[in-house]
Amino acid sequence: MKLNIEGLLVYFPYDYIYPEQYSYMLELKRTLDAKGHGVLEMPSGTGKTISLLSLIVAYQREYPLEVTKLIYCSRTVPEIEKVVEELRKLMEFYSKETGEKNNILALALSSRKNLCVHPEILHANIIVYSYHYLLDPKIADLVSKELSKKSVVVFDEAHNIDNVCIDSMSVNITRRTLDRSQANVETLQNTILKIKETDAAKLKEEYRRLVEGLKEANVARETDIYMSNPVLPDEILQEAVPGSIRTAEHFVGFMKRFLEYLKARLRIHHVVQESAPQFLKDIFEKVCIDRKPLRFCAERLRSLLRTLEIADIADFSAITLISNFATLVSTYSKGFTIIIEPFEDRTPTIANPVLHFSCMDPSIAIKPVFERFQSVIITSGTLSPLDIYPRILDFRPVTVASFTMTLARTCLCPLVVGRGNDQVAMTSKFETREDFAVIRNYGNLLLEMSAIVPDGIVAFFTSYTYMENIVASWYEQGILENVQRNKLIFIETPDAAETSMALEKYQEACENGRGAILLSVARGKVSEGIDFVHHFGRAVIMFGVPYVYTQSRILKARLEYLRDQFQIRENDFLTFDAMRHAAQCVGRAIRGKTDYGLMIFADKRYARADKRGKLPRWIQEHLTDGSLNLTIDETVQLSKHFLRQMAQPFRQEDQLGLSLLTLEQLQSEDMLQKIAQIAHQA
Amino acid sequence: MAALSEEVLLVVKRVRQRKQDGTLYLMAERIAWGPEGKDRFTVSHLYADIRCQKISPDGKAKIQLQLVLHTGESTNLHFSNESTALKDRDAAKDLLQQLLPKFKKRANKELEEKNRMLQEDPVLFQLYKDLVVCQVISAEEFWANRLSINNVDHSLSNNKQEVGISAAFLADIRPQTDGCNGLRYNLTSDIIESIFRTYPAVKQKYGENVPHNMTEKEFWTRFFQSHYFHRDRINTGLQDIFSECAKQDEKGLKSMVFQGVKNPMVDLLSLEDKSLDEGYGSNSTAPSTSNTNKTVKENSNSAIIKRFNHHSTMVLAAGSGKKASSLVVFTAEPCANLAVCLHRDAPNGQACETSSTDGNSRDSDFFQPPIKKVKIQDVIEYEDLHRENGKKTVALNLKKSDRWCGCSWTPYFGTSVMSSSTASCAIAALSPGGVLMQALAQQAINQMVPNDVQGELKHLYTAAGELLRHFWSCFPVNTLFLEEKVVKMRSNLERFQMTKLRPFQEKVQRQYLSTNLTGHLEDMFQMAYNKFHAWQTRRMMRKT
Repeated sequence: MKLNIEGLLVYFPYDYIYPEQYSYMLELKRTLDAKGHGVLEMPSGTGKTISLLSLIVAYQREYPLEVTKLIYCSRTVPEIEKVVEELRKLMEFYSKETGEKNNILALALSSRKNLCVHPEILHANIIVYSYHYLLDPKIADLVSKELSKKSVVVFDEAHNIDNVCIDSMSVNITRRTLDRSQANVETLQNTILKIKETDAAKLKEEYRRLVEGLKEANVARETDIYMSNPVLPDEILQEAVPGSIRTAEHFVGFMKRFLEYLKARLRIHHVVQESAPQFLKDIFEKVCIDRKPLRFCAERLRSLLRTLEIADIADFSAITLISNFATLVSTYSKGFTIIIEPFEDRTPTIANPVLHFSCMDPSIAIKPVFERFQSVIITSGTLSPLDIYPRILDFRPVTVASFTMTLARTCLCPLVVGRGNDQVAMTSKFETREDFAVIRNYGNLLLEMSAIVPDGIVAFFTSYTYMENIVASWYEQGILENVQRNKLIFIETPDAAETSMALEKYQEACENGRGAILLSVARGKVSEGIDFVHHFGRAVIMFGVPYVYTQSRILKARLEYLRDQFQIRENDFLTFDAMRHAAQCVGRAIRGKTDYGLMIFADKRYARADKRGKLPRWIQEHLTDGSLNLTIDETVQLSKHFLRQMAQPFRQEDQLGLSLLTLEQLQSEDMLQKIAQIAHQA
Repeated sequence: MAALSEEVLLVVKRVRQRKQDGTLYLMAERIAWGPEGKDRFTVSHLYADIRCQKISPDGKAKIQLQLVLHTGESTNLHFSNESTALKDRDAAKDLLQQLLPKFKKRANKELEEKNRMLQEDPVLFQLYKDLVVCQVISAEEFWANRLSINNVDHSLSNNKQEVGISAAFLADIRPQTDGCNGLRYNLTSDIIESIFRTYPAVKQKYGENVPHNMTEKEFWTRFFQSHYFHRDRINTGLQDIFSECAKQDEKGLKSMVFQGVKNPMVDLLSLEDKSLDEGYGSNSTAPSTSNTNKTVKENSNSAIIKRFNHHSTMVLAAGSGKKASSLVVFTAEPCANLAVCLHRDAPNGQACETSSTDGNSRDSDFFQPPIKKVKIQDVIEYEDLHRENGKKTVALNLKKSDRWCGCSWTPYFGTSVMSSSTASCAIAALSPGGVLMQALAQQAINQMVPNDVQGELKHLYTAAGELLRHFWSCFPVNTLFLEEKVVKMRSNLERFQMTKLRPFQEKVQRQYLSTNLTGHLEDMFQMAYNKFHAWQTRRMMRKT
C-alpha cells in the first residue's frame, strides 16, 4: 500500500499495516525532519525493520539532498541477512509499483572475510552491517570513516549497545600477549635491519612524513571528510610525531622498553587497580616513558607496518594491541580504569596475571557517531527504561518513544511466580539460591509446565554455573526423569557448536510433535540471538533475576563511574541491566501477533514495582495485579486457561480494524486518534 | 493327533502341571503338555494366545514357569527334574522368549484390526452376529473376505509404524530396595529394546559379551553398576566394560557436533560477525573451561549436561529412524575426522575456530544455500499483513460479456450422452409412482410395518447380501478352491434361508397376511440357486 506520512509518500510492501507501524513511521519521520537522534522501542514481531526501511527509503527519494545514505547496523549475521531480505522485498515492491528500475544501491557487509569494497561503500545508498563497523575504531577507520555526514544511522537490536561500545575500547593483556608482542618486536627489528641494507630510502621517506606530522588526517577531519576516530584524538593531529620514536629503530627500542615495563607490572601477587594518570605517573617514574610518545604509538606502528610493507597484519595483532593500549591509556584520563589481577578468582593457586584496561564509559566509542551523523536512531524491542540510554551514551535525542503492540487477542501472558505450593518464596537471591526448597520448587514449576504446555518450552537461568548446579540437583532429586516423561531435555553448554546441535535437535523435537525443553542461560548466545517462534517456544520460564556477576572488579569500577559521572545509582543500573536481559529472554517467544506464548518470571522479586516498572511497556501492560506472586498451582491454572484460549482459531478478520488496518481504515479520523496514543513519549 | 505333522522344537520331560507329572512340548505354533503315559495333550496353547510368560525368582524352591493367556487364564508348569530343573526351565523360557514376540505381533495386529472394524461399523457387527454367532458361516470365512477387502490399508499397517521411545525409559526401571542392602531393577523386554535402540554401543557390547563372557543377568547387573547408567559418575576404572561405550558415545556426539547444523538460523558459530580481535573486549578472558582447573563436582555437573543432550538426541534419532546417520559417523569415519576430534579436546574457543573456518561458503550472501534463504524469508514473513488469498472469492471478470448472453450456445458432448428429455423421462419412470416402479409393493411399507420388523428386515437384507456377495464372487469358478467355496456357499445360503428367513416369513405372515415383504429376498436366493444349478449341470456334463 501507499501511505501518506505527514505529507511523505511511503511505499509499504504489504496489503495491511499494523497501527503501531504507522505510529512508528510517524515518529521516525519527525526525527529525520528535525535532523536529530531518536530512541524508539517497539516489540519484536511488529515489523520494525520494514517500517524503518520503508520510511527512510521514501525519505531518501523525496529529499535526496537531505539524506544521502542509510547505515543500518544490526548485531548478528542472521539479523543482517534478514534486513537484506526485507530490503529486497521493498525494492521489488518499488519497481512493481513505480515501474521504473530501482536506482538504489544497497550493500551488506556480513563478514570480515569479504571486506572491503571501499569505493562502493561511498556510493551505496543503503549499507547494512554489524555494529562493529561503526563502533569499533579499529574497523571503523577502515570501513566507515568516509561515510557522508548526511547519513541516517540505525542501530537495531540496540539494547546492548553500551556493552558493544565498551568492548570495542577495552583491552586485556596477558603474559601470552606480551610474549607474542616480544616476538613481533624482534621480527620488526630484523626486518628494519634488512630494509636498511637494501632500501634505506624508504625509511628516510617515512621519517620525513612523520616530521610533516599527521597533517593529512587533520586536513581531512577539518574538511569533514572523515569521521573522527576516538583512538586518534584531535590534539595529536596538530603535532608531529615526537622525535624519540621517529626513527624506526628508536620506536622499536621504545616498544621494547614499554613491554619490559608491562611484564614487570604483571609480576604481582595482589590485585592492583589504578587510573590512567596513575599508570602514566608510574611508567614515567620507573622507565622514563613520557605521555606524549605513548599517544603516538598506534599511529606510529601503523606507519611502520605500512613502510615495511608487511602483508599479513594479523601476525602483528599482539603488538598492535599493545600500541592501541598505549595510545588509549595516554589519551583518556577519564572513563577508563586499569586492573591487574594476578589470578582468576576461582583458581587462586594458578598464576595467570591479566592487565585489564577497561572502558567504563560507552559514550567514548559512540561519540564520533553521534557527532558526525545527522540522525542516529536507536531501536529495539526492549529499551526500557527509555531515559537511561541517552544518559549512558551521553546524547540528546529529539524523539523518545515506546510503542505498544496492539492486539486483537492477548497473545502474551506474563506471570510472576513467587512461591511454591509449600509457600516457600521462590527466588534466585544469593542467600537462598542453594536452598533445597527453592531448587525443588523451581523443579516442580518446570515439571508442571512440561505437562501442560504444548511443544517447546525454553527456560533461562541467571548464569551457567547456577544452571549446572540446579540441573545436578534436579537429576539427583529425580525431577528431570519426570520431566522426561513429558518432553525431551536439551541443555545449553559453553561450547557453541554443541549448543547449536542441541538447538537443532530441540527444534526437531518440537517439529515432530514430541515436545522439548531447552535449558539455557540469560546473557548467553541463545538468549541473544535465537528466536523461538510459534511452537518452538510456547512458554519461556525465567528462573531468577539475571543480575550480572557483581563481584567482578571491572563491573564495580564501572558502577562507581556511572554513579560519579552520570548520577546513576548502582542498584538502578544493575536492576536495569538485569531487567533488560530478562525482557530479552522472555521476548524470544513472541515474534508477532499470530504467535503466542507464556512468559513466566519465576522470582518473587519481579513483583516489586522497581523491577516490574523496568520491563518494556508492551509486556508491562499485560502484567496485572492478578498475575503477581502466584503459587505454582495458580500459575498452572492461569496457563491452562490462557493456552486453551489461544488454541481457538485466529483469523485475519479477527484482527482487521483492531490490530491490522487497511488503507481506508487507517485514514479514518478516530483511528488516527487511537494511533496517536500508541506512541508513549517518555 | 495333529502333533504328528508338527515340528517339535523342544521336549522337556518331568514337568508337572496340576501336581501331575508329564512332558512339555514346544511346537512351531503352540506349546502343549501331556500327562505321563497318555498320548494326548491336556494343555495346549497357541503361541498367539499367550500374553506373556513369568518365571519364579531365583532361589525359590519350586522352579516354575507361568504362561498367562490373553483371556487372563494362566497355566503353571513346575519343572521337577531335580538335577536339571533350572536348565530345563531356562531352555523353555529362552525358546519361548524367541517365539512369543513373533506371534504376539501378528495375533495382536489381527485381533485389534478385527475388533476395530467391528466397533467402527455397526452394520458389520450386526452381520457378524447374524452370520458368525448364529453359525451360518465360520469366523474365518467371514474375515477371509473382509480382511482382503481391506487389504490395501492392511498392507500399510503391516508396514508397522515405528514405536518411539519414551525419554524416561531409564526412569521407568526404578530400582527398588530389597530390604537387605541390595537393589532390584525391573527390566522388561521393552526397556531392553529402548536401551539398545538409544545406546547402540550397549547393544554392541551385549552382542560381544553375552553369552560367551557373561550371562545376560550379569551383563545387566554390570550395566546398572556402571558409571554409564549413573550419569553423574565420572568415567573411572578401565575394567568397566562400559567405559568404552561412554567413549564411543562421546566420539559420536563429537562427530555430530563437528558435522554442524543444517539450519543456519540456529548455528551459533556463525551468529556473530566476529569483530573483536583477541585481547579486546571487557570479558574476553572468560573463565577457562579446561578440565585441569575444574573441581570434581563441576566435572560431574557438566557430564550430566552432556549426557542429557546425548540421551535426548539419541532418543529423538531412534524415534525418527534416523539412527543410521548418527551411527555411521563413528563406525566408518576415516582418520581425518579423528584428528579434528582430538583437536576438539582443546579448550572450547579453539574448537569453535576450526569449525567456523571450515564452513565452505558462509562468507558470501550471494551464494547462500537455498535452505538459508528459505528460512530467512520464512522469518521475515508477516502472514497477517498479506491479504489472504485462499478465502477471497474471485469475482467473475468476463472480458466480453455479451458473448455469454446470447442463447445460440449449445454444448456438445458427443454421442455418449443421452438427451435431456430422455433423462428426465427415465427419472420420472424410476421415481415412486413411475412406470417402472409399478411392480413393487405400492403401499408405503414404512406406514404399515412396525419399526422392529423393518429393522429385522434390514438386517436380513444385509446378511443375505453379504452371503450372496460371497456366493457370486466365486464366479467364474476356475479353481478348485472356488469350486469348494461355491458349494459351501450354496449350503450356507440354504441354511440361512432355513434358519433366518423362514422364521421371519412365518412371523410376518402371522401378523400381516397380505403383504409379501420377503418376496424380493426369495427372488435373489432363487436367482443364486438357478445359477448354481446351471453351473453344476454344466460341470456334470463336462465330467461325463
